[in-house]
Amino acid sequence: MINVPTHWYNIAVDLPKPLPPPMDPYEGESRIALLNRIMPSELLHQEFTALQYVPIPEEVRDIYARLGRPTPLRRARGLERLIGNGVKIYYKFEGALPGGSHKLNTAVPQVYYAFRDGAKEVATETGAGQWGLAVSIAAALIGVKATVFMTKSSFMSKRQRVLFMRTYGATVYPSPSEVTKYGIEALKANPNHPGSLGLAISEAIDYTLQGEGRRYIPGSVLEFVLMHQTVIGQEAIEQIPEEPDLVVGCVGGGSNFAGLTYPFIGAKLRGEGFEGTRFLAVESKAAPKLTQGRYEYDFPDSGGLLPMIRMLTLGHNYVPPPSHAAGLRYHGAAPSLSLLVREGIVEARAYTQEEALEAGVMFARSEGIVPAPESSHAIRAVIDEARRMPKGSVILFNLSGHGLLDPDAYERVS
Amino acid sequence: MGISRPSLGLYLTATYPSVRHFIEVLNGVRGLVDFLEIGIPTGNPKYDGPVIRVTHHGAELKGLEAVKVVDDYGRYSRVPVLMGYVADYVDSLNEAASVARSVNAVSILFPDLIFDYPELIDRYVEVMVSNGLRPSFFISSKTPYKLVKRLSEYNPLFIYLGLYAATGIKLPIYVEQNVTTIRGIIGDTFLVVGFAVNNPDMVKSLIKAGADGVVVGTAFIQRMSNLESALSLLKWLRGGLP
Repeated sequence: MINVPTHWYNIAVDLPKPLPPPMDPYEGESRIALLNRIMPSELLHQEFTALQYVPIPEEVRDIYARLGRPTPLRRARGLERLIGNGVKIYYKFEGALPGGSHKLNTAVPQVYYAFRDGAKEVATETGAGQWGLAVSIAAALIGVKATVFMTKSSFMSKRQRVLFMRTYGATVYPSPSEVTKYGIEALKANPNHPGSLGLAISEAIDYTLQGEGRRYIPGSVLEFVLMHQTVIGQEAIEQIPEEPDLVVGCVGGGSNFAGLTYPFIGAKLRGEGFEGTRFLAVESKAAPKLTQGRYEYDFPDSGGLLPMIRMLTLGHNYVPPPSHAAGLRYHGAAPSLSLLVREGIVEARAYTQEEALEAGVMFARSEGIVPAPESSHAIRAVIDEARRMPKGSVILFNLSGHGLLDPDAYERVS
Repeated sequence: MGISRPSLGLYLTATYPSVRHFIEVLNGVRGLVDFLEIGIPTGNPKYDGPVIRVTHHGAELKGLEAVKVVDDYGRYSRVPVLMGYVADYVDSLNEAASVARSVNAVSILFPDLIFDYPELIDRYVEVMVSNGLRPSFFISSKTPYKLVKRLSEYNPLFIYLGLYAATGIKLPIYVEQNVTTIRGIIGDTFLVVGFAVNNPDMVKSLIKAGADGVVVGTAFIQRMSNLESALSLLKWLRGGLP
């Protein structure tokens, strides 16, 4: 039995090149200065820390443990048999957490730090609802109010997640909403706007600025979010009985991928193991920033309220087509992940949702767990790679969430 | 030539707001600062905060012409350093170095070098050295440890740690912790820190954390329309030096 990690891992200090700093656009007020008004202070420190390992507060570790960390690392023997060529497949099951996904790993510390700053309410965006649900749980446990802007296409299709967010006490708005100027503008331009994560972020920030005692907390992309997720990979390194040849995760903004892989990649970059391990990031063809994006400064949100960051991006105004893997419908990838892809340390691949969900069904029937549509993208890659790898090869992937609240996705394929 | 430990530095953008006022300020700060950083006005001060961006756009002269208005910065400071964006000089590093030498500057600091042009680092060092200058490097708190160590091995005049995300904008960052971490990597290399420095307590705590020199820029520039007030700021900040 392993313990909950005591530190988060900051990969920035081990990268082959430095992360370019955030940048203000040339118009309007400073977005960097705006961070002071919207984000919990400790998170800003963590975004710019020079420490390699950042201590996890005991209160946060306690909640991690109460919620079920360490999560299990399992061998996918059923899937291995189905593929049938002797490749060994392990997965880290983040769906075992109460929110059904990895998102609690950062929701808990973010809400904790907001509470420590005296916030009475946290506001955020969500795509498929995993992040919104995680924030709702963390807010309920820590004792603050949660307000969630959920992309409208998901709000309409993922009704159970909306219900459970409300069960935990959160207020949930479909985005675009009529609560913020960004939502109102988007609705005016297109009354049938399906929403996007970029727009929902702008709405959550605008909502934060409208009231006292509110703090905005992000679900992905920023480096501290990725850092919080590294509890996944640190646990996996202790749990896995053999060195993986390939580590796989799906990518929306990059947090679950980073959470599993960064401790492995960091060790590789420092020359402390995993020399032969490959890393594969799998995205949706609905938002193919890793495979088709440009590496440039762009806003993380469509309203341009946050500072610009250099990342692989499809452009902050890109509205991905509706997809059941709403958590992957995001225009950019976190700066550190973008840099790792650019440097060839992480490989990238995109799949359609049909290709992904077919793999999800195979996994459900062979392992007994219905994967989240997002995680099914990783499973698709695992299956394709396993079929090509020699007998005895070892694959590890992040089963970032279960799909029990995604019946709309599986309705079509099962 | 080295910088005394501990020391106070001042950043100014050349010829802002005018040639006359800039030279007046240079005369005024003589004896109040230990080293000077003279910004080469650029059309794209991307990593600067709003106040210093205004100085780049508002400088009376642009580019290297602006720094040439003073033919000997040594009159004003023992250690004058030029500061520019290497994006403007990728194809003319030698020309920039030659101008620096002609005005008796001892180095050119390029804040975008390691982020945007890491492949130019060796060439930059070579150009500095061959022109009788010393290299100096800007880093952020998240610069990889291996690179920080490598930079310190070039025998630079200093390594400059930007304390915040942009000049003049304070964020709730444990800057002393970051200074101490970087100090632990670079050994005895001279460590300059700056961005949003505006009071002597901050100067004192940064020096205590491991900085050798502290630079003020935005806070001074905001007071520059009243030179007396700006000079008082420098005297006040010097009170933070041990």
